[in-house]
Amino acid sequence: MIDAVSRLGVSTPWVLWLLPLALVPLVASSQRVTPVPAIAAAPSDGASRIVGCMLRTSGIFAIAGLVLALAGPYRHGETVTRIGIGAQVSILVDRSGSMNETFAGRQPSGEEESKAAASRRILGDFVGSRAHDLFAVTAFSTAPMLVVPMTDRHEAVRAAIAAIDRPGLDYTNVARGLAMGLSQFGVQGASISRALLLVSDGAAVIDPRVQGALRAEFARIRPNLYWLFLRTKGSAGIADKPTGEDTPQAAPERHLDLFFKSLGTPYRAFEAEGPQAVADAIAQIERLERDPIPYTEQRPRRDLSGFAYGLSLLGLLALVAAKLAEADFRRGRARALSPPATEAPQRRLAA
Amino acid sequence: MSALHPIARNLRDRRFQGLAAASVLVAATFLARPLPLTRDGLEVLAVLDITGSMNVRDYVSAEGRPTSRLETAKAALRDLVAAMPCGSRMALGLFTERRPFLLFTPIEVCGDFAPLDGALASLDWRMAWEGDSRVSAGLFRSVEMAASLGTDLVFVTDGQEAPPLPIGREPAFEGKPGAVRGLIVGAGAYGLSPIPRFDDRGRETGFYGAGDVQQENRFGPPPADAEGREGYNPRNAPFGSGAATGTEHLSSVREPYLKSLADRTGLAYAHLDGPSGLLDPLRAVATPRALPGSLDIRPFLGAAALLLLLAAFAEPRLGVLRLGLPRPGARPFFTLKKV
Repeated sequence: MIDAVSRLGVSTPWVLWLLPLALVPLVASSQRVTPVPAIAAAPSDGASRIVGCMLRTSGIFAIAGLVLALAGPYRHGETVTRIGIGAQVSILVDRSGSMNETFAGRQPSGEEESKAAASRRILGDFVGSRAHDLFAVTAFSTAPMLVVPMTDRHEAVRAAIAAIDRPGLDYTNVARGLAMGLSQFGVQGASISRALLLVSDGAAVIDPRVQGALRAEFARIRPNLYWLFLRTKGSAGIADKPTGEDTPQAAPERHLDLFFKSLGTPYRAFEAEGPQAVADAIAQIERLERDPIPYTEQRPRRDLSGFAYGLSLLGLLALVAAKLAEADFRRGRARALSPPATEAPQRRLAA
Repeated sequence: MSALHPIARNLRDRRFQGLAAASVLVAATFLARPLPLTRDGLEVLAVLDITGSMNVRDYVSAEGRPTSRLETAKAALRDLVAAMPCGSRMALGLFTERRPFLLFTPIEVCGDFAPLDGALASLDWRMAWEGDSRVSAGLFRSVEMAASLGTDLVFVTDGQEAPPLPIGREPAFEGKPGAVRGLIVGAGAYGLSPIPRFDDRGRETGFYGAGDVQQENRFGPPPADAEGREGYNPRNAPFGSGAATGTEHLSSVREPYLKSLADRTGLAYAHLDGPSGLLDPLRAVATPRALPGSLDIRPFLGAAALLLLLAAFAEPRLGVLRLGLPRPGARPFFTLKKV
């Protein structure tokens, strides 16, 4: 009950200052004032008292109802938490300059699609394909950039993904990007399925000093890690061993893959060499991330002014009926010399 | 007159007519549908300068603490988002080096308020990818970006070019002035303040000194007054022999420069006075975007009904309003008020 009352509100509170006007019916009446020679001419009786009381109440209802309605009463919207199927997905997008080339490593021309445009199209379809997924978007090049925090507003996430085929920046600093991508998960319970989706077309050496900190973060949050590697034709793949020395500098992709494998969290790498492969990988991720997730549903606020108008209308109709039934005592007597004594308790009363 | 039936007489009573009209008006609220209207909304691309000079703390927060230009600008943008009419949309970009970087295309400011506000709140100078601050180049490209998105532009900067521009040679704006409407917002106080300096792990280590920054741009031909400088030699020392001196290591809002940029690009200029107040200057110059809206007409019906109702109650007390039927001989000598 208290909860129900606390959820009521009005949109223009100052109008409520007019509420004292509702007391006007206590001091004035809408009924006609009939002069009579002596108050004893109208002896007090119960029926008249009840009718008078009702008329006064009707006036109060009519005025108070209108003032309330003008103030715009409403009941607050509420947030309901339910359980759906989905996951928290933190999308980490490489915005380095090479993402604007095609999978063949050229500037896109004609019908060709750049890697960024392909991932924009396919990720855009992914976001919103299931109603209860939560998404966060982080971009990284030289520095990581928080684009959109974890949210269920898929329009906003799509707007962030729509920006990823804009000209990119210089380098690929994947370590700081990973750290920010992980920080997007927040501190909610560990029961939720969490996925970190890294979309990049290259890799970089992760500073050994940062590796320890990243490992600790991965161990704490334990996300499912997906690496969508947009491989340019002819460049080194994830599994390719370099011909020379096998160092992180010589084969950053391979060593990033090794690092991910050593984290102890569920990890899958998808090597995509074309838009179709990207779409297949996304479809696979979608199938894998099927766990219950609590989501919030916003119930809109409800306009209550109709009730206030209804209250006012009740009062008004009673007043109108009373006004219609009113008869002038003196005139009535002038017309027909003997007015029936029972004719109008109401009019005498409300005078 | 006296031959009239009481009900017919009552029907002619002004107070009855007022009450009946009020009832009709209130009853009409149940049938009234909102009128479809178009309202003026906004669509803007906000580009925020996150270069080093934006870390200068020359604003004062509500609690009286010094606050950086970046924090104040963020607060002002968040305030702007909250103040924009529902249905308006905002895209967000960052500026550093010489170009803007688009974080997201326009997002609706009411339904998607939480992610938009969260994104604004988490803007940080650490997102910068390079240290240069070519304000004019960044502004010109932001104008292009706003044109490609079809939005207006809000460009928040302090106007400090780093490194400084060559004297007398400012880059030309190649677009059509006025094609994109919007606002350049000058952030910073008018007096000079030191610029905080950070180490490579992002910790503040002090302030920039006079020798830490480039005080004069010595690329390209020397300025016209170079001949008068000490030690001038056309071949060996075209800029004179002395070290450049200046106040480039200190920062204030470069208002004349920003105003000249605004003139060249056809944008308006406004100074950022605090963590709010961007809506009015933006509204003054922005392209109005028609948004579907609706007008609830019930309050008008309700207000008219309330006036009629009060008039019906007050009529006997306000003699001037007594418009009822003439009552010959109805001279009240006693009023029966209450039983």
